[in-house]
Amino acid sequence: MSILPKKNELGFFEIRLESIGGLGANLAGKMLAEAGVLGLGLNGSNFSSYGSEKKGSPVKSFIRYCEHDVEIRDHSPIEQPHIVAVFHEALYRTVDVVSGLNADGIALVNTSREFDEVKKDLKLEYGTLALVDALAIAVEEKTKVNTAMLGALYRICDFLDPDSMRKVIRKTFEKKYPHLVEPNIRTFDRGYNEVQFKTYDVPEGAEGKSFSRPLPQLGYMTQEIGGVMTAQGNSILKDLSGSRQGFLPQFEQDKCIHCAACDNVCPDYCFVWGAGEDKKGRKQMFLKGIDYQYCKGCLKCVEACPTDALGDLREMIGYADANTVKQNFPYLAGGIS
Amino acid sequence: MAMLEDKITSSSIAEQLSTFESGNEMAAMAAAQINYHIMGYFPITPSTEVAQFLDQMKARGEHDIKLIPADGEHGSAGICYGASATGARVFNATSANGLLYMIEQLPVQSGTRFPMVMNLVTRAVSGPLDIRGDHSDLYFALNTGWVILTASTPQAVYDMNIMALKIAEHSKVRLPVIVAYDGFFTSHQKRRVEYFKERKVVQQFVGECPTDYHFARDPKKPVTIGAHMNGDDLINNNFQQSEAIYAAGEVYKEVAAEYARLSGREYSVLDLYKMEDADVALFLLNSAGESAKDVVDELRAKGIKAGVISPNVIRPFPAKEIREALKNVKALLVGERADSYGANGPNLTHEVKSALQEDRENKTIVLSRVFGLGGKDFYASDAHKFFDMTVDAMEKGYAEKPFDYYGHVPGNPDQILKPVITPQHGEVYRSGLIDVKLDEETNKLKVKIPPLRALTGKPKRIASGHGACPGCGIFGGLELFFKGIEGDIVTLFQTGCAYVTTTSYPHSSHKQTMMHNLFQNGPATLSGTLEAFMELKRRGEIEVSDDATFVMITGDGGMDIGMGSAIGTALRGHKLIMLEYDNEGYMNTGSQMSYSTPLGHMTSTSGVGKVQKGKGFHHKDTAQIMAATNIPYVFTGAESFPQDLVKKGAKAQWYAQNVGTVYGKILITCPLNWKSEDRYGTTILEQAVNSCFFPLYEVEQGVTTITHDPEAKNKRVPISEWLKYMGKTKHLLKEENKSILEEFEEEVEKRWQRLKAKHENPFL
Repeated sequence: MSILPKKNELGFFEIRLESIGGLGANLAGKMLAEAGVLGLGLNGSNFSSYGSEKKGSPVKSFIRYCEHDVEIRDHSPIEQPHIVAVFHEALYRTVDVVSGLNADGIALVNTSREFDEVKKDLKLEYGTLALVDALAIAVEEKTKVNTAMLGALYRICDFLDPDSMRKVIRKTFEKKYPHLVEPNIRTFDRGYNEVQFKTYDVPEGAEGKSFSRPLPQLGYMTQEIGGVMTAQGNSILKDLSGSRQGFLPQFEQDKCIHCAACDNVCPDYCFVWGAGEDKKGRKQMFLKGIDYQYCKGCLKCVEACPTDALGDLREMIGYADANTVKQNFPYLAGGIS
Repeated sequence: MAMLEDKITSSSIAEQLSTFESGNEMAAMAAAQINYHIMGYFPITPSTEVAQFLDQMKARGEHDIKLIPADGEHGSAGICYGASATGARVFNATSANGLLYMIEQLPVQSGTRFPMVMNLVTRAVSGPLDIRGDHSDLYFALNTGWVILTASTPQAVYDMNIMALKIAEHSKVRLPVIVAYDGFFTSHQKRRVEYFKERKVVQQFVGECPTDYHFARDPKKPVTIGAHMNGDDLINNNFQQSEAIYAAGEVYKEVAAEYARLSGREYSVLDLYKMEDADVALFLLNSAGESAKDVVDELRAKGIKAGVISPNVIRPFPAKEIREALKNVKALLVGERADSYGANGPNLTHEVKSALQEDRENKTIVLSRVFGLGGKDFYASDAHKFFDMTVDAMEKGYAEKPFDYYGHVPGNPDQILKPVITPQHGEVYRSGLIDVKLDEETNKLKVKIPPLRALTGKPKRIASGHGACPGCGIFGGLELFFKGIEGDIVTLFQTGCAYVTTTSYPHSSHKQTMMHNLFQNGPATLSGTLEAFMELKRRGEIEVSDDATFVMITGDGGMDIGMGSAIGTALRGHKLIMLEYDNEGYMNTGSQMSYSTPLGHMTSTSGVGKVQKGKGFHHKDTAQIMAATNIPYVFTGAESFPQDLVKKGAKAQWYAQNVGTVYGKILITCPLNWKSEDRYGTTILEQAVNSCFFPLYEVEQGVTTITHDPEAKNKRVPISEWLKYMGKTKHLLKEENKSILEEFEEEVEKRWQRLKAKHENPFL
C-alpha cells in the first residue's frame, strides 16, 4: 500500500518550496525529504536552485518522494509540483510561485492575509489554498519562519509523522541550545495547528497552472561576442524589495539634518538627494527620501542616523510604494525596454 | 550501478547504513573513513563542500586527516604532490579553473608516479565565468595521465572514492586517480545512500598503505625525485606510464568485482542500460546518463529499441567495451557537456568514433551534440529530442548534421540589450570640492574635503540593483573610497562577492568601464590594461583624460591566491590602485577561511567543535606586506570613519597618477558569514578599529602615520567589545577558550605597538 497521496508518471510526489535566501527553506527541504526517506523508508531526493544566491535572493528547494524501490534518475527542477509552499509573500511580485502547480494541488502561503486576497494575488483559480502566519509565529516565539512552515507542511503531508520532526528538533538543539528546544517545538506545533485550509472546487477536466521554462533575454544572434555589455548600470531596472524580511527604514524629513551618515553606510544606494538652498541661501544638498525599490531592509541607516529621522518600521503592504522617492538616474530616452 | 542481491550471498556483504546525503558529503565521508594523511585544498565552487564537511568532522574528532588550506589550487597541488612523495595517502577536491590553475602539476604527479585521489566536481571553465556544472574542466584532465572514474550518483561518489585509492596504489598502476562527478547535479542533490557502518571495513578493503616504494621518507634511504631527462629516457618513462594506465583498466575490473562482493553494488566499465538489442542509443557521461534512462523506458514502451551507454571509467578509455556495446546499434548520439572547439566534435565523440574505426564491420551512425553547458538543465524532453535525432539518422541511413550544438537560441531582436542611462564619465564625477596638494616641507599630501553631505551630489560609481546580501559592507566601503576620487575610473573586479553581485548577465551595476578576471590575476591584468591605455595614448590612437584612475578591486581571499600578482605589480610600480575589501574569508564561496581570518574565528573550514576551536593561526597583515614593497602609498580604512576613508581615496588617486602603485585595505562587514545583525555593520567596524585590531593608518612614501589613534582619543575598547557582535566569535568569549582569546589579544597588541613605533619614527 502506498502512503503517497499522489504520483506523477515517473512515480514521484513532488513539493516545491519558494523562498528567499536566509529564511531556511533549504534546511526545511532537507528535513522534509529526510523524514520521508530515513523515517518512512521512502526513496527521495532534495536539492535547491543553484547559483550565486545571496541572502535575500529568490531560491527554490525541491523535494521528490517515491516508493522505496523506484530509482530516482531525474535531476531536473520540479516543474509540476503537487504542493507549493511560499515562504515569503513578497516573492510573487517577481516570481511566478505557483507555476505548474497541479490542478488539485495545494499552495501553502506564509501570510497574515485572507484567503480570497491571496488567491487573487496568486492568480489561483482552483485547488486548495493553505495559509499560515509563519512570520507572526516566528516573531512571537523568537524562532525561525522555516520551523513554522515545516509544521504546516507536515499537516499537509499527512503521511509524515509529526512526532519524528519533534524528535529531530529536540536533537538539533538540546545539546548546544537547550533553551531553544521548547520554543522550536511550539513553533512547529503552531504551524501544524494554525494552518487554515480553503478548497476551491476543481472543475472536471481542469488543468494545472501552466509552466514555461524561461528563455534567456538574449541569444547567439543578439548577444555581443564574449559577453561584453554596454548597458552600464542597467541593474537599476531590478526590483529588490522582495529581499526585505518584514522591516524597512521609515524616513521623517522634518527631523533630518542632512548629514549623509545614512548615505555613507547604505549598501544599496537608496537615499535620494537633491540640490537646494539652505536658510541662508547657500547651495546645499538635501535628503529627499528613500527609493524602496532597492532597499533590502538592513536598517544600517537607522543605526547611523544621529537624529530620529530614520526608524524601524514593520512593513505593511503598500507602504513602500506610497512612500518611495524615486532615484533621479540620468535615464536615456527610449532606453528602457 | 546494478544491485547484485540475487547473485551474492548476503553473508559476504558488509553491514551498511542508510543516509540521505549529497555527492560532496559522500566524498568527504569516504575520505574520513579511509582516514587519509593529508588533504591540501583550496576552495572553489562546487567542490568546496568536500573540505567543509571534512573540517566539520575534524572539529568533532571523527578523523585525523591533516587539512591544509593552500594559497591557491596550484599550491594545493604542490602540497598534495609533496605529501604523496613521502608515500602518505593524499586527497584533494577541485573544480573548473581550480583544476586549470593546478594543471601543470598533474602530469608531474602522474609522470613521477605518485598515487593520490582527487575529486573533480565538474563545472564550466571560465570565461565568461559560470559556477555551474558541465564537463569543460574534465576534458582538460584527459591528457594528464591520471586515471579518471566518473560517478553518476552520490552513491557512486562514495563507492568510487573507496575503489579509487585501491586502484591508484595497485602495484601495476601507481598513478593518481580522479573521481569526476557532476557539479550541483550530483555534488549537491541529496539522495538515499548506503555506507559501511564500520570504517574498518573500508580500511581493510583499501588495504595497508604500501611502503615498499622509493619515497622521501627515510633519511637512511636517500632518494632523488624528479631528475630531468632527455628524450631517450623520457620516452621510456612515458611508455611505463602508458602501460600503467592501460593496466589500470584491468585493475579497475578486479577492484570493482571485489567491491561488489563487499557492498552488493557493481560498477562495470560501462553502465549499459537496455543495450542488448538497442537500435538507437545515447552516450552520456554522469548525471545526464541517469536522466536519459527514464526516457529509454518510455520509448521502449512505444516499441522503440532505445538504450543508454554511460561509462564509469574514461581513462583509460574503454574502447573495446564500447566497440562491443555498439556492434549492432544503428545510430548513436554522443551528447557532451563540453566542446573541443574546432575539432568537429568534442573529445569523447572522437574517442567513440576511433573505437568503432577498428571494427571494420561496424555501421553505427554517430551523431555528436554539445549540450547542457554551464549547468543548463537536461530535461526528459531533451533526451527525447536526442533519441528523435538518432531515429531520424537510422531511418535515413546517415546523419544529416553529424555535429551541432543543442539548446542554444538565436534570441529575439526586440529584446536586444539597450543602454538605460547616459554614459557616466568625466565632468559628472568631478565635484571640484576635493583638493589634494603636496606639502613640499613634509613631503606629504594635504587633502581638503568638504562635509560629506556636499559629496552626495556626485553620482555613485556603482548602480543600485546589485544582488548583494542585505547589509553587505562592500558597497558602502567602496563608494566612500570612490568619493575621494575625482574624474573617470577604470576598474577591474577580481572574482569575489563585489564582482558576482554586480555583473549577473545581462545586468551590470557598473556605471563606468569595469572588467573581470579570475582572482589570482587581477593586478597583472590591470597592469596590462593601464600600460596599453598609456601606449595607445602616447601614439595618439586614443584620447583619455589625464585624471583617469585605474583601480583593481579584490576581496574574498583574492589577496591570498593573488598575492604574487599583487607583489609583482607593486614591484613594477604601475600607476594603479589595488583596493582590497577585507571580509575575513572566502565569503562568495560560502565562508571558507582565508589567511586574513583572525585566530579562533569560525568559518566553514575552521569550524568549532570538541577538538578544534576556529582558525588555528593568525591573520595576514597584508598592508604591511605591501608596504614592504616600498610603493608610495599604503593605507587602511573603514566605513565607520568616512572622512578618513574619503581622504585616503583622494590621496590614493594622487599617488597613482603621479608616483606609482597604491595598495589599500578596507575592512568590511559580512553579516551573513560573520553571523551578525545586518544593522550593526558599521558599529562592528568601529569596534574593530577602536580595539586596535584594525588600526587606521597610512604609509606615505615609507613614512607611517596612524590616522585614528583610539588610545589618544580615549576610545580604545577591549577586543571582546568587537567580538561580541558576531556569531563567528561567540565561542571566544567563553571561559573555556580564554587562552585563544588571550593569544589573539597579544598578537593584536604586538602589531599595534609595532605600528605605534613606526608612527613615531619615520625610519621604521
